[in-house]
Amino acid sequence: MAAIKLDGLSKTYKVKVRGEGLKNTFKSLVKPEYKEVEAVKNVSFSVEEGEMLAFIGPNGAGKSTTIKMLTGILHPTSGQAEVLGFNPVKDRKKLSYQIGAVFGQKSQLSFHLPPLDSFRLLSSVYEIEKAEYEKRLARLTELLELEEFLDSPVRKLSLGQRVRCEFAASLLHGPRILFLDEPTIGLDVVVKHKIRDLIKRLNKEEGVTVFLTSHDAGDIENLCRRAIVIDHGTVAVDMSVKKMKYDYLNKKVVSLKFNAETTLEETEGVTLIKHTPYAAKFSVDTRIAAIGRVIAGLDSDNIADITIEEPPMEEIIAAIYTKK
Amino acid sequence: MGKYLSLAGISVKNALVYRANVTGRIIFYFVFIFVFFSLWRMVYSGNEIAGYNLTQMVWYVCMTELVLFCSGAGIFGVMNHEVKSGAIAYELLRPWNYIYKQFAGTLGNMTFSASVFTLMAIVLGMIFVGPLPGFNAAAIPFIIVSFMLSITMNFFFLMSLGLLAFYFEENSPFYFIYQKLLFVFGMLIPIEFLPLWAQGILRYLPFSLITWGPAKMVVDFSFGYAIQIIPLQVIWCIAAVSLAHFVFSRGVRKLNVHGG
Repeated sequence: MAAIKLDGLSKTYKVKVRGEGLKNTFKSLVKPEYKEVEAVKNVSFSVEEGEMLAFIGPNGAGKSTTIKMLTGILHPTSGQAEVLGFNPVKDRKKLSYQIGAVFGQKSQLSFHLPPLDSFRLLSSVYEIEKAEYEKRLARLTELLELEEFLDSPVRKLSLGQRVRCEFAASLLHGPRILFLDEPTIGLDVVVKHKIRDLIKRLNKEEGVTVFLTSHDAGDIENLCRRAIVIDHGTVAVDMSVKKMKYDYLNKKVVSLKFNAETTLEETEGVTLIKHTPYAAKFSVDTRIAAIGRVIAGLDSDNIADITIEEPPMEEIIAAIYTKK
Repeated sequence: MGKYLSLAGISVKNALVYRANVTGRIIFYFVFIFVFFSLWRMVYSGNEIAGYNLTQMVWYVCMTELVLFCSGAGIFGVMNHEVKSGAIAYELLRPWNYIYKQFAGTLGNMTFSASVFTLMAIVLGMIFVGPLPGFNAAAIPFIIVSFMLSITMNFFFLMSLGLLAFYFEENSPFYFIYQKLLFVFGMLIPIEFLPLWAQGILRYLPFSLITWGPAKMVVDFSFGYAIQIIPLQVIWCIAAVSLAHFVFSRGVRKLNVHGG
């Protein structure tokens, strides 16, 4: 069953246009002019239950707008969205029991109170039974290692600690879909790993569907099987992360170390990146030159070491963004 | 219902965290009452004005100020900020009614303010002019009901004005106009100071019912008056809550949240 279904979803904003100068300021007072901005244009796709989808795109592409339409916060201008069989806007309250969201740039915790107070409040807002709440809290406390700061006011927590609490707050009611909008923004590597592990476990053990936007290539690579790239409000790419990684740039990077001094020449499809007498690094465009051929063309007795790499995910994403 | 009670509970906790800024408001309240006391002492030459003597007049101002100090006037700013900054996004994700959630979330603060400023009002009234002559303890239940209606009505009107942020880039003029109307139509002077025809209109309008309504009940109680004022307050209270609902449910469709 599809957990999330979008059908021609669009959102248009009206933005007041203001010319420069005093004259135009008065003009806009008397007769304001509006410009329509199409943040999301006719987007259709669906996400299966239990899937982990990376929903990526450059800044201002329409990612957050889409998430906010799927969670019932924003009303679509046209088109349909269906989340767990609900219309997010009409059935916002019913849907809210079934979904959780973490917006990396906003907080849902009471700033001056300890996270435990916010959790307790959420448990009554979501009408979670006491025993269930305690079980759930114990589990999240353990998974996210919250123990030591559950009683400290949120304003005294570090960003990493706070975000871990944000996750706990969004997961207390056992949502079936988790919407994550740049959840790892600004976090250190260790916390990032902790969060990724948590997401993986929830997906595996509870079958939680994950809808993730992130500018962190690591999040996408580590968590998601499928990626949708949205740009200027439309779907630009919809493919598996694997395929994206292996096929999108059609590029391999080969690093070599030699036994004796060697000079390599560039050939068609092979571009040198770095070359010293005892080492070389070059990229192979696999559409033009098959990687096997290129390797076979090397003097195998002279090679001390060889590494063949995919281009990093970050580069792939950058290539997709700039191509469109 | 349970969730709204928990919200109110949390808001009491929050109110206690913010207790530092209560000191500032206490000083402010004192200054207000002191200025009005000085003003009315100059104005009065021993007689009554429009049926109020000096003692009643000072108690009257203590009471109208009390309403405003307990009304959670911050709600206008909160609404304004939530809509404009997009902080409302998280609020809309929860299984609650946003309007009642905000009310419940302010109750703690209101209760806290009510206890502090009621005490202030009584202490200052006693110091400046002494006890109210002819104050009847039987009036207290009516007074409490009237104050609660006033504060609730004022809260939901302020909330509606704050929610106008959905429609207007700059909604604070509405707030200023509203505050000034409260000020001139009941807070500063009882409506009896105005010509009869104006009184006839004002006694049915929310501005006077928020301030003049409960304050007159304290300084010049009669059952007839209470029975006339309280139903009007109930009607305006319902109107205020409905208005907040209307502004919210229409406005939320226009919500734009950019970035993040």
